[in-house]
Amino acid sequence: MTPTTLALTTLVAPASAALVLAVVPGLRSRGWPAAALCILASVVSLGAALGVLSGCLADPTPSVLAVPWLRTSSVTVAEIGVRVDGVVASMLSVVTLVALSVQVFSLGYMHDEPRPAFGRYFAYHALFLLSMDVLVVAPNLLQLFAGWELVGVTSYLLIGFYYRKPSAARAAVKAFWVTKFADMGFLAGLLTLFVASGSFGWDAHLAPGTATVVTLLLFFAVVGKSAQFPLHVWLPDAMEGPTPVSALLHAATMVAAGVFLVVRADPLFAQAEATRTVMLVLGAATALFAALLALVQTDIKKVLAYSTCSQLGYMVAALGAGSMIGGFFHLTTHAFFKALLFLAAGSAIHAVHSNEIGDMGGLARRMPVTGGAFVVGALALAGVPGFSGFFSKDLVLEAVEGKLASLPWAALLATAFLTAFYMGRVVVVAFFGAPTGEKAERAHEPGWSMRGPLVVLGVLAAGGGVFAAPFAHLYGREYHFEMGVGPSLAAALAIGGFGAAYLVFGRAKGAPLPAPLALVDRVAKTSIVNRVYEVGYRRVALALADGLAWIDRYIVDGLINLLGYGTLEAGARARAVQTGLAPDYVLAAMLGVAGLAVWAVLR
Amino acid sequence: MATVETSHAPDRDEPLHLRPGQLAVLALVALAATVAARFFDHAVPVVAAAAVAALVPRRHGWNVRGPIAITAGLLALFVAQMWPAAEATAASAPPAESAHLLSWIIALPLAGAIAILFLPRQAHATLRWTTMLVMLGTFAASLPLLRVTMGRGYHFNEDVLWLPRFGIHYHVAIDGISYWLVLLTVFITPIAAWASFGPIQKRLKDWCFALLLLEGGMLGAFLALDLFVFYIFWELMLIPMYVMIGVWGGANRIRSAIKFFLYTMFGSVLMLAAILYVAYQYSRASGGTWTFDYFELQRLLAPRHVQIWLWGAFTLAFVIKVPMFPVHTWLPDAHTEAPTAGSVILAAVMLKMGTYGYLRFSMGLFPEAAQEFAANLAGVAVLGGIIYGALCAWKQEDVKRLIAYSSVAHLGYVMLGLFAMTTASLEGSVLQMVNHGISTGMLFLLFGVIYDRRHTRHIDEFGGLAKPMPVYATLFVVATLASVGLPATNGFIGEFMVITGTFASNYLGHFAGVQAVGAAIGVILGAVYMLMVVQKMFFGPVTKKENAHLADVNGRELVALAPLAMMVFVIGLFPNIFLGPIRGAAERVQGDYESRIEANPPPKFYEGPFKLLPRRPEAPHAPSGQTAVAENH
Repeated sequence: MTPTTLALTTLVAPASAALVLAVVPGLRSRGWPAAALCILASVVSLGAALGVLSGCLADPTPSVLAVPWLRTSSVTVAEIGVRVDGVVASMLSVVTLVALSVQVFSLGYMHDEPRPAFGRYFAYHALFLLSMDVLVVAPNLLQLFAGWELVGVTSYLLIGFYYRKPSAARAAVKAFWVTKFADMGFLAGLLTLFVASGSFGWDAHLAPGTATVVTLLLFFAVVGKSAQFPLHVWLPDAMEGPTPVSALLHAATMVAAGVFLVVRADPLFAQAEATRTVMLVLGAATALFAALLALVQTDIKKVLAYSTCSQLGYMVAALGAGSMIGGFFHLTTHAFFKALLFLAAGSAIHAVHSNEIGDMGGLARRMPVTGGAFVVGALALAGVPGFSGFFSKDLVLEAVEGKLASLPWAALLATAFLTAFYMGRVVVVAFFGAPTGEKAERAHEPGWSMRGPLVVLGVLAAGGGVFAAPFAHLYGREYHFEMGVGPSLAAALAIGGFGAAYLVFGRAKGAPLPAPLALVDRVAKTSIVNRVYEVGYRRVALALADGLAWIDRYIVDGLINLLGYGTLEAGARARAVQTGLAPDYVLAAMLGVAGLAVWAVLR
Repeated sequence: MATVETSHAPDRDEPLHLRPGQLAVLALVALAATVAARFFDHAVPVVAAAAVAALVPRRHGWNVRGPIAITAGLLALFVAQMWPAAEATAASAPPAESAHLLSWIIALPLAGAIAILFLPRQAHATLRWTTMLVMLGTFAASLPLLRVTMGRGYHFNEDVLWLPRFGIHYHVAIDGISYWLVLLTVFITPIAAWASFGPIQKRLKDWCFALLLLEGGMLGAFLALDLFVFYIFWELMLIPMYVMIGVWGGANRIRSAIKFFLYTMFGSVLMLAAILYVAYQYSRASGGTWTFDYFELQRLLAPRHVQIWLWGAFTLAFVIKVPMFPVHTWLPDAHTEAPTAGSVILAAVMLKMGTYGYLRFSMGLFPEAAQEFAANLAGVAVLGGIIYGALCAWKQEDVKRLIAYSSVAHLGYVMLGLFAMTTASLEGSVLQMVNHGISTGMLFLLFGVIYDRRHTRHIDEFGGLAKPMPVYATLFVVATLASVGLPATNGFIGEFMVITGTFASNYLGHFAGVQAVGAAIGVILGAVYMLMVVQKMFFGPVTKKENAHLADVNGRELVALAPLAMMVFVIGLFPNIFLGPIRGAAERVQGDYESRIEANPPPKFYEGPFKLLPRRPEAPHAPSGQTAVAENH
């Protein structure tokens, strides 16, 4: 099969599954057939994606298969289809692999759901994989936008999966609104691009000013989707969804779509140095800021959520520094280890029925696979030498070194230390030490459907570094690793972070947070950014809507009603003229004749 | 004693329950569809679509599965036939155009309305079946339209002299602008009628009469190209709607009906005066020949100061109908009080009369005046329509009011696309008219479902409905996503084309970009208020005990909703099929407009005396008696 046919297969498989599940309610409501169908589709997709990948490794020339979709005045505005190249091949493999792992994991995790809900869950998953694949294989930015929006909607469905829980329904809507707000940038950027270049391709040559405008607008959408400051607020709330959903959407795929967009539109971004500077600053700032917030969370999923913001900051900073491969390789390894962390966290939550790390404790002994997986993920995330995160983080740090007086570099190094520290905290508190409660004591390892994905992702998270060289080959670059000053420093900080975490939390469990952390905690509790949005939403937008609705009702419509009332009233008054008395009419006629006579004389 | 009547009606909720004989009819229709499919070489997708659709409804019999399967099969056939790749082969032998087809389309519902008058008032089933058959017959009669490649010109031209003294012709023709609007009308009216055959029990005969009269009026207004005839149809459709709101409406129905009638009438009367004045000036310029023919009146070039007033009179009638800020306030009142089917037809078709009229008549007859105000009106469309409408919708506590305000916002896009006057924005606008008809029609239909169960329109009365009514919730979410313009649904294509076209427009001064961005903000606001409704109505726990055991959509409702839900995706996935027929006419309209503006450039436009320009090349041949006038100048 040609690469394009294989890429098409990755679309067709989940599309068929989603369609069948949508139109045959019987399959969905029984639950298991839906899961089987969805997983089958994902297996086919994964196989096809790996086929695409191996094809690309052998021959990285891009190929496109597309049909016209939207035309106007005999000019084709846009095509839909598939494009295969190095970026697509690697992203497709990551997406399908993580999606499949998460779906298999969900078999165990969602086991206790009622059958129809179970089926609905897998139908959403098939739809999500389809949307994500549409986005990844897009041959132009319009299809990418379509996929982008579809991903937004399916994430809305998945976050709001427990729709009877008001907080989940609210979180789903919030995620949708915030990302939709950012998507306005995507739309405006697309239009500017189209007007300037006459197509939705990303290889247009633009005037420098136009390029800056287009890329800044596109980047605005990235800020929303990839949860960068200040539009990161939806991501922690989105943890209301089932934990495997968080692993899929908020770690590996959906949030990475923003980074993917920048990688995809790299030729445009390369023409806009100003945008890249903005990205570098914002990425580094988000990385540090989110890492600080992650320090004080006690909900294991929230720690991971802020950590995701922080790591996405790394990727954005790398892309801002012009290192496409640094950003994209970190995306890949992050997908492995963050999915692993979320799934392991899910397994722990499943066992103790609580998200609080304080309720866990000593889980590693009761659940060795889960504990091991989480530790591997934590080490990879922190960038401990040898693990995948170390190599990708190194590429990022290398790229930003020396840019803007090395301030972003310093921020990212500090983040590396903080990352190790907060992950060390979770590992020490939740997985080591003595069990803190009855449930933690009786926790036990889940079934194989949940352990299997942990093992697979664990291996990838640990050894993902070996992909660096073939990965670079896909883009026609050379990769060589050297243990210089930078990597040594990063490694030292990572190990130091774990050490510090052990020193602080290893002994005095349950002790109050140390003074600097308590301060961060207090700042975090004010959730200042959320407040700003809330004021903007309630005091500005809602108040405006309120005022306008009032004006519409009482002024715009009021005037019309007044007109109607005035007419009626005037009629009622005028009726008095019609007295029905003959003398009055004669008088009026006489007056009329007299008036006419006067007019005739004076004319 | 209406209440007594209602409670005794035996077939309250399933008025069209099928007996074995009728089942056989359905089977025959299905067989015919299959045979047709084989004939057209697309049997596989058609049968597959039909089979899949037949599987979908659970807990329903073949009286529900059958119609849904037929709809799906026909839609598959439609897509396969209309796909642009197939166009090349089909175009080799253009089918003959029947001269009277459009007259049949207009006359069938009107004749049906008259036939209804002779049926007994108590025979509910007969009344319903007659109405349905007439409407489906009209739908079938309009199917030959699909086989015609529209291109730039007019088709099915029929021109008969009617009142020679004033040169009034019965003149109907169809082009790419009215094409989908006519098809939308014949598609959506039967759906609305079908959906109404449960809740409407009172005065059914009058109801059926009004429905058919309304359909005939709307079709006539879309097709008429003689301004006098257009005006007759324009007013003809007003009366049945007035009656529908006034008789079968909610608690405040009388007030709303009168408001609706007077408000729209106010605009139309001025339009009538303008029509008469234009015809009068034409007769003076042509040396005594009277005509109301669109193509002849299009030749009249009026000086700027006169043209502005004429344009204003026409435009006022149209923007009230659209409706545009600030003359939109009749719409929320009319929608809230109208019965479900009335709301559906009002939103889906009648509002389009305003946008269609503006494009065809205001812009077609008075391009210079239209251009003079285009930039300012585009600002009104964005600020007053898209953004103001959306913000007002946000704060409504009455679901129907909310959907009404969302209509104001959506039609803001349509008007913006018209003002922008690029081919892309025109295509987008015309498609968006159809899209709004389908998604908002579906929303009103859906709301009717819950209204029939709860008899309240207040949002806070609902909550957690997804649990008792899962199918209903799914359909509502589909309509919502179409309404907020999600890719793969119809709303996306229309809004996207409008915004793209506006962005590149030369006719909006320096503000084209600003308008496009304003429209894009409206997309977000749309998502805000629509998802808010969905969240409040469907998610969270069930808050009221009345809602805990509501019945999900029944067979009748499902049959009405399914075609609309399918259309949402058909347009969203295959936009080219729908844009193709519009394209040529959009190019023509844009070209005509552009050449007039270029010949009489702003800011002075044209200030000389009235004069006649040459007839437009794409206009259908003038009937005998008028060609002589054309030679005179």
